[in-house]
Amino acid sequence: MTKRTTHFGYQEVPVEEKAARVADVFHSVASRYDLMNDLMSLGIHRLWKRLTLERAGVRRGQSVLDIAGGTGDLTLKFSQLVGPSGRVVLADINASMLNVGRDKLLDHGVGGNVEYVQANAECLPFADNTFDCITIAFGLRNVTDKDAALASMARVLKPGGRLLVLEFSKPPHQLLSKVYDEYSFRLLPKMGELVANDADSYRYLAESIRMHPDQETLKGMMEQAGLERVEYTNLTGGIVALHRGIKL
Amino acid sequence: MALTPVLLLACAEKTFNSLLARDPAAPTRLRRLAGKRLLLRLERPSLALLVTFHTQGLGLLHAPQAEETDADAVVEADCEALGSLLAGESLEQLMFSGRLSLRGQTHLLEATRELLMDLDLDWEAALAEWFGDVPAHSLAEGLRRFARFGLRSQHELRTDLAEYVFEEARLLPGQAQREVLRDHLTELEVATDRLEARLARLQRKLDARRREPMT
Repeated sequence: MTKRTTHFGYQEVPVEEKAARVADVFHSVASRYDLMNDLMSLGIHRLWKRLTLERAGVRRGQSVLDIAGGTGDLTLKFSQLVGPSGRVVLADINASMLNVGRDKLLDHGVGGNVEYVQANAECLPFADNTFDCITIAFGLRNVTDKDAALASMARVLKPGGRLLVLEFSKPPHQLLSKVYDEYSFRLLPKMGELVANDADSYRYLAESIRMHPDQETLKGMMEQAGLERVEYTNLTGGIVALHRGIKL
Repeated sequence: MALTPVLLLACAEKTFNSLLARDPAAPTRLRRLAGKRLLLRLERPSLALLVTFHTQGLGLLHAPQAEETDADAVVEADCEALGSLLAGESLEQLMFSGRLSLRGQTHLLEATRELLMDLDLDWEAALAEWFGDVPAHSLAEGLRRFARFGLRSQHELRTDLAEYVFEEARLLPGQAQREVLRDHLTELEVATDRLEARLARLQRKLDARRREPMT
């Protein structure tokens, strides 16, 4: 009997191994994740996340789920927006990332309205129709079964709720695409080696970005998961795309 | 292009928060405002801005779809009125002249203006972070002395220049001379008006005499 496989960067690995391998990558980079993000994106990741926050349209008293929330950048802002009567759940499959995020938020004085949940996006441990807004920023490409994850997110969204997916994508411009390839496969692993002493994890990052579905494919997957009015915005020449869909 | 307004707002937020962090009075003011939100709707350019307050600073968020119920106060104004407000013009005056409309907790706008315009920045503490306490104090003292010297020199230069122009070179009339000249001109104007009136009366008399039949 042949084993079901999936991609881990450019490698094919058994489906049940991928989650553990991704977990290893993030255990390894967790402590320097924010620093590396700033270095790799020249700080632009903060603007991508700000735009996500604007498009989320979160209001006072609402409940928000920040999946793969990592070090809690979005959760911090969401907690201020929903206020004490609202609720933000920071979920991540990786305990190391969740710990870093929780420590960072506590250092910022964020408490009361934030909960921390270690959860797999493919089978979210929440009741149907729970959240007004769900975001997943730079997390979907690491999920083994993306369709299952999108379906799970659609399930826990309230009717009228929004799902926002911020993820690396495919630059439509040929020249930019080539420059980006050179940067990702030559410079990025070197930076990873210098700063986080871990070139392999950052090579995986570049490879996983290339294996991630492009803008139109992801839009189709979100529609397939039951979301409607799905639209996307290319950011920084399409290096990153922000998809938004509504559950009606 | 989608990121340009986001970048501008992020820069503005960062600047405000950096300045607030340097003001020793800001934490108390921010504690009073924490959790409040102000929706600012500008007409030209068309912009909806949600200002959220928290204990460490404020947040600026472009919120075109924000509802009034989600804010504690809603301000509608154009850029000119906002500029006047920040320049210190009375809020009541702006409201009664119809240039600014405010709904909800009106004191929130006053408190925001106070927070941003009454900043008393502790520059010495900022310098101390870079150079250490003692060098920062010496540097700050030097800068203060230089500023005092600049102000004094500016005042002296203005006085000396006025004295030369008005008193020594007599290039321009002084304040007192100008007043006297103005009084003379006013007198001349009144006298000219009187003379004009007398001439008009004489002219009327002359015309009346000419029209009388010859006897």
